[in-house]
Parts: sequence; structure tokens; C-alpha cells
Amino acid sequence: MAVIARLRQAYPVWPALIAAIACAAPLAAVAALAVSGEWSGYLAHLWSTRLPVYLINTLQVTLISGSLAVVLGSGLAWLVARYEFAGRSVFEWLLALPLAVPAYAAAYGWFDLTQAAGPLGMLPTVRGATGAGLVLGLTLYPYVYLLAREAFAGQSSDAYEAARTLGARPREAFLRAAMPMARPAIAAGLALVVMETLADFGAVAHLGAPTLTVGLIRAWAGEGATADAARLALILVAIAFLIFALERAQRARARQTSASGRRRPSRRIVLAPLRGLAAAALCLSPVLLGMVIPLGRLGYRALNAPVTRDLASAAQNAVLLAVIAGVLAAVLGLAAAYALRSGTRRGAVAARVAGLGYAVPGAVAAMGVLAILGLLQTWIDAAWTGLFGAVFPVMLTGGIAALIFAYLSRFAAAAIGPADSALSRVTPALDGAARTLGAGARETARRVHWPLIMQGALLAALLVFVEVLKELPATMILRPFNFDTLAVIAHNYASDERLGEAALPALLIAAVALPPMIWIARRIVRQEDGRENAVHAEAGR
Amino acid sequence: MLKRLFAAGAVAALSLSACAPEAAEVSSAADAGEVNLFTARHYASDAAVYAAFTEETGIRVNVLEAPADQLIERMRAEGARSQADVVITVDAGRLWRADQAGLFQPAPELGDTLDAVPANLRHPDGHWFGFASRVRVVVFARDRVDASEITDFLDVADERWRGRLCVRSSNNVYNQSLLAGLIDAVGPEQAESWAAGIAANIARTPQGGDTDQIRAVAAGECDIAIVNHYYLARLQRTGDPADRAVAEAVDIAFPSLAGRGAPFNISGAGLAANAPNRDNALAFLAFLLTDQGQRQFAELTNEFPVVAGVAYDNDVLAGYPQITPDPVNVNRLGENATAAQRIFDRVGWP
Repeated sequence: MAVIARLRQAYPVWPALIAAIACAAPLAAVAALAVSGEWSGYLAHLWSTRLPVYLINTLQVTLISGSLAVVLGSGLAWLVARYEFAGRSVFEWLLALPLAVPAYAAAYGWFDLTQAAGPLGMLPTVRGATGAGLVLGLTLYPYVYLLAREAFAGQSSDAYEAARTLGARPREAFLRAAMPMARPAIAAGLALVVMETLADFGAVAHLGAPTLTVGLIRAWAGEGATADAARLALILVAIAFLIFALERAQRARARQTSASGRRRPSRRIVLAPLRGLAAAALCLSPVLLGMVIPLGRLGYRALNAPVTRDLASAAQNAVLLAVIAGVLAAVLGLAAAYALRSGTRRGAVAARVAGLGYAVPGAVAAMGVLAILGLLQTWIDAAWTGLFGAVFPVMLTGGIAALIFAYLSRFAAAAIGPADSALSRVTPALDGAARTLGAGARETARRVHWPLIMQGALLAALLVFVEVLKELPATMILRPFNFDTLAVIAHNYASDERLGEAALPALLIAAVALPPMIWIARRIVRQEDGRENAVHAEAGR
Repeated sequence: MLKRLFAAGAVAALSLSACAPEAAEVSSAADAGEVNLFTARHYASDAAVYAAFTEETGIRVNVLEAPADQLIERMRAEGARSQADVVITVDAGRLWRADQAGLFQPAPELGDTLDAVPANLRHPDGHWFGFASRVRVVVFARDRVDASEITDFLDVADERWRGRLCVRSSNNVYNQSLLAGLIDAVGPEQAESWAAGIAANIARTPQGGDTDQIRAVAAGECDIAIVNHYYLARLQRTGDPADRAVAEAVDIAFPSLAGRGAPFNISGAGLAANAPNRDNALAFLAFLLTDQGQRQFAELTNEFPVVAGVAYDNDVLAGYPQITPDPVNVNRLGENATAAQRIFDRVGWP
């Protein structure tokens, strides 16, 4: 289909290339660190001692958190997308909220509750690889949920209904007709969950599940072995690369949505009262387990703990950073999605590289950013002094720009996933129809693509917004003087073992994330109602 | 809409990135200026110490708090451009590493002031000094253990404690420095067999922080725990009744390290190699050692003052018996840190 290829290539790859360079820079710096340092024999020492344990733990934590996220995320997404029950419209956005809870905060809360001395001491203590996997799954499942919900809601119900007509039971129809069509979205969500799990340090360290990331921080802190830490980070990047490859394979196998781009929004099935109650309970449990209970425990501890830090300005700082990064990331995500869609090898590679940064633990990514900024500073200083004979007035580190750069390099993946899965619904046939009617590439993008992908862009911005609110290592090390964010304050209290004081900033992170989540959820719902008309009008039906 | 936001965001980002401290408006002559701290201490109460300093000198204090290793990386990357005036960390091993990276400069101007600090709690050449100290202790269950059973840390590796000990992960720098001190005291071989004994004795996979180890003792999960003294002091002085109950169920022992004395460690500070506000930095460092500065650490973070004879108001610290400190220079803890880390790896102390 040469025509289709040409249509897809009507969109430039260069924005994605720029994004890829920006995102890959820290990664390249880490790789440079890895090959440049001395080979002290530390890796050999590690191999004969702890590395196997690190690998086993990493696999176990990742498996548990990934599978929990898929089951919870896609199951609940199906429930709220296809059924009508009391409270559904509230659960629609409530289910996304645990994402706003930093995994380490949930880990502190659960561990505090379930340790032998805690109020839930009769339960098995949440600890080790299993505990860490559960906590991470409970706080990260919204990735899968959000993407899957969007896919299910936008899915034509034809396939599912056809399957039912052919005598399939609802479960079977779901598994064999609805799930395969949502597979790209679920895979994209799962990739994010897995990468974030790989990069987590706070929760696994506290719960005593030493993963590769823990080993890497240990190498860095205990040995001062920056190069060895970077080498371990490259193992994580390799794993991420593998996950990407698997996700692409999934996507290639998946049947895309109906070729016409036409959707009959499926009418929701109204559940009988008792079943509706059960559905509501199902929806409530992950919110309770992932957010309310652990944060409630921290909050209870906060009752006896005065907070002495200025939370208002910390919240302001956090929101400012998160908004800027969220908007820019959405732009990057769309650029990368178009590059992927172009089908050119160059575009695909650029987009993939842009997304790799996500699996790098934040501390290492921050190291890479630092190294790059240091290098840039040296060059600029030298050039400036040569030209003007004066010292270059701006420090690159310790500014907001440095932070934004670090966030984008790290979270581009979280934006590419939703943008890409949204754009995958824009079929070449749609482009063809628009172009036949005389619209140019730009107009097609504006009038046909944009209405279809706006949700994806909003979702991308939201995910990055929430991520940045929670982000810790890069914020810690690149921020200006006297500049706190909520996550920084929460972490400082927690690392001083003052759980009570850590509770309020952690709760505030969730509170700050709530309004944009509601707003975006509402927009998406509104759009679904209007979408069909838009599609029909734009495609000239 | 997105476009407008994008433009606004870009403008905001650029304008904000120029807001680094040096871009502050030109100070008036009467202004005492500022001092920039890179600190790895995460105690909220330190803000009170900074406020007291500003009160006394008029010098504004700018703070960047981050884990020590990250601060070291940032200073390395910033090189001569670094804005840091003073570097503060907990644990001598970190100070040693920062010094190895060339991040400190000697402060001869402080000469006499530093003499107030015991010689073993500061760098041999005055690159950094301890301004508060902490001791690694054993907390034990009042009803199941007698203090006479734990007079030395070597005892804790004894088979008698099999399955009765709680201690946090060996990733933790406090444990690292404890073992580093032991390597200095008895040599690497014996230190390794000690660590193996500890690894065999632990009642549960290390998890949580020092406070969690104390809670585990109170809850009966283990009978003894190795922790820093101020975690227990904090529970003893808290307003939370549940935590009080925990503190009352346990007691504290100050075992010696291979007979040499209790394993002390420090919170330390040094003059940054490229300090832009050198004079203010010196003023701040000197302030840490004044009676007022010393007193605040004892009262707010339950650490020991390093200057002898400072009066402070803290019933818990005042109630401790006379503690003989290990005379080793804490700089050695840094030198032995890597060896300690590898011993942990080999014996499988998680």
C-alpha cells in the first residue's frame, strides 16, 4: 500500500528526533559513565555475591506488580466502560487516583500497619519482594486502567456483540473480542508499570526487597562507584528495551479498530442492584488498598506530629513544575507518536529511544543530566569568556530549566504511550478520505486527527503531571536553593523516620493531582458523546 | 489552548532558570549577604539553627538538601562554578568521600575554634569537623534481656542471639560505619566473621528503619536491636502514647566496640572548595560550635554536642551513663567503608 505509506509520511519526523536527542542525552551520559570508569572488579565481586539475588528480586517484584496492574487495570476499566451501576461516574476518575500516591508512601504506610507491633499485626507483614510487588501494583495499576478505559470506551461494540450473538458468554466475549482490541493500550500501560517498578527505589528498599535498583544505589553510595552504578543501570535499560520490543510485537499482532474509524459508542449495560453493589465494592477496594488505607495510616500518625515546613510554597513549586513538564511532555509524546506512525525506521527508532529513559532509576538519570549540564556549562563558559571576556552569567544546574529537562528525559515514555495508542486509532483510511476531499496534511491533522487524539494528549499530559508531582531524585539534586516540592518534604520526613510528618505532604500530592484528573475524565466523557458526530462530519460521511 | 499554555510554560521556564541565587538583586551595603548550604541532613529542626544564625549575624541562609552522594555528584559537575559554601553531611564516611573528591578546602581562619572539637571527631588536616555526634547502641527488651549480657558489640554476634536480633539493611550507612570501625579495631578477618555472626543472628530480613527495629523489639519480634541512640531518645520524648509505650518496653545499652569504646559517628561540616561567600561560610561554621548552636542540636535532634561542657536541656541525654567513646579518628570509617561494604556482600547480610 504505497499510498498509505505516503500518507503516513506526510508528517515530519524531526520533532521526534529532537525529542529523542533530548531524552537520550542523559542515557548517553550514563552509558559514557559506564564505559569510562575504572574496571575495579566490583561487578565480578557482585556477581559472586549479590547480583543473583538482585535479579531474582527484580523479576519477582516486577511480575507481581505487572500482573496485578493488568488484572486490576483492565478488569476495572471494562467494568466502568461497559456497565452502569451506582457511583460509576465517580469511580471513573476515582480509580485513577492511587497513581498520585508515591509508592514509597504506600510502602511506609502498609509496613507500619502490618508490622508485628502495628494495628494490623495479625495480618502477614507487607514486606519483601511480594509485599513490594503488591504495593507497587496497587499504586501503578491506574496506568493500565486509564489507557484501557480509553480503549474500551472508544471501542466499537460490534465485535463484542457479534461474539455474544455467536453464543459466547460475556467473559469469553470479553477475553476473545474486547481484550484483543484493547491490547495495544493495555500493553502500553503495562510497559509503564514495569518500567516504573524497575526504577523504584523507595518502596523496595524500605520493604527489604533488594532489586537491581537497590544494588545500584548501594554501589554508588557504598563504593562511590559511579561507573559501576551506571553499568547496573544499563542492565535495567536493556530490560526496558526488551519490554518495548515485546510491546511492539504485541501491537503488530493486534487487530486495530474497525477500518472505517467509525464507532457506535456502546450503550452501557445496567446492572441489577445487588450486582451493582458488588461492582461498586470491586471498584472501591483498589482505591482503599492503594490510597486510603496507607495514607490514612500516615495521616493518623500525623495527628501527633506538627509539620514545620512551608507546605504552601512547596505545593506551588510542585504544581508549577508539573504543569510545565506535563504540557511539554504531551507535545513530545505527540511528536513521537507521529514519528512512529510514519513507519520510517528513523522515526520508530527516535520514538523508542525517547521512551527508554523511563526505566532508568531517577537517581541515575539525574546523574546523567548533571554530567551533561556540567559539560555544557564548561563549553559555554569557555566560549563566552573567549567572546566577551566575562564570566557567563547563568548557571545551568540549580534552575527550573534543568529540572524540566530532567523530567522530560525521564517521563517522555509516559507521554508517548497514550499518544501513540490514541493515534493508532486514526486509520490511514481516514487520512485518505480527508485528503481526497482536498484537505492538506496540516488540515487533516487539525480537523481529523486532533479530535480523535486529544484525549490521548490530555492523558499524556496528566500522567506526566502526576509523575512529576511524585518525582524525587532528580528534583532533589537539580533544584535551586530553598526550593522544596511536596515529594521532597514527604521524603525528607520519611527518611528521618518521621512518618507522621511525611503524611500531610503525601496526602497533598494526591489532593493536588485530583482536580486535573477529574477535569480530564470529564472532558473525555464529554468527548465520547461528541466524538461520533465529529468523526462523521470530518470524514465527510 | 495547549499552544498558549506551552508558550507560557516556556517563558516561565526560561525566566525562572535565571533565578539562581547569584541573580538575586544587588545587595545594599548594609546587607550581610548570604551563605549557601549543601546539606545531607534531613532534620526539619535544622531550620531553627539556621534561623538563629541569621538572627545573630544577619546573613541569609540558602539551603539545598539532598542525599550526600547526590550532593557530591552535583558539586563535581558544577566544578569551579559551584555555589556551595558549606557542605554538611551525617556520617563520617560521606565526609571522607567528599574530601576524596576534592570538595573541601582547609579553613585556617577557624584554627582555635576547631580545637574545641575532640581530635578524633575532625579531619586530621581540618578539612571538615564534627559539630554533633551520635552513637550506635543496642536497644533490648527490658523483660527478656539483661544489660550485662551486652557489654561489647562482639557479644551481639554470639550464637546466644541466634534469631533474636533485629537490625536494618547493610545498605544503611550507619551499619557500614559500625563495621568500618570494627575493621579498624580487630582487622578485616575477624570483622568478617563478626558480620557473618550478625547475619546468622537476625530474626527477620532487614526492613524499615531504626525506629522500626525498636518497635520490633517492643512487639517481641526480636530481643535486641542495633540502632542509633537518638531514635530511641525521640520515642522517649514523643507526645504519642503508643510510641511512649514502645520506649518503655525497651532499654538502652552502650556496648563498646571490641573493647575500645562506644562507636561514635558525627554530623559534620566543611568549607566548600569553591565557596563564593567564604567569610560568611566561616561565620556559619564557627556558629555551629558556639554554645547556642551546640545546644540546639542536643535539644532538637537528640545528638550529643561535641564541645565539652555545653549546657542543654534534654532529660533523656542527661540521664545516660558516662559513655567512653572509641578513640579512633572517624576519618578511618570512610577509609574502611568500601572494605566494609564488600564484607557485607560476602557474608550475605541483606
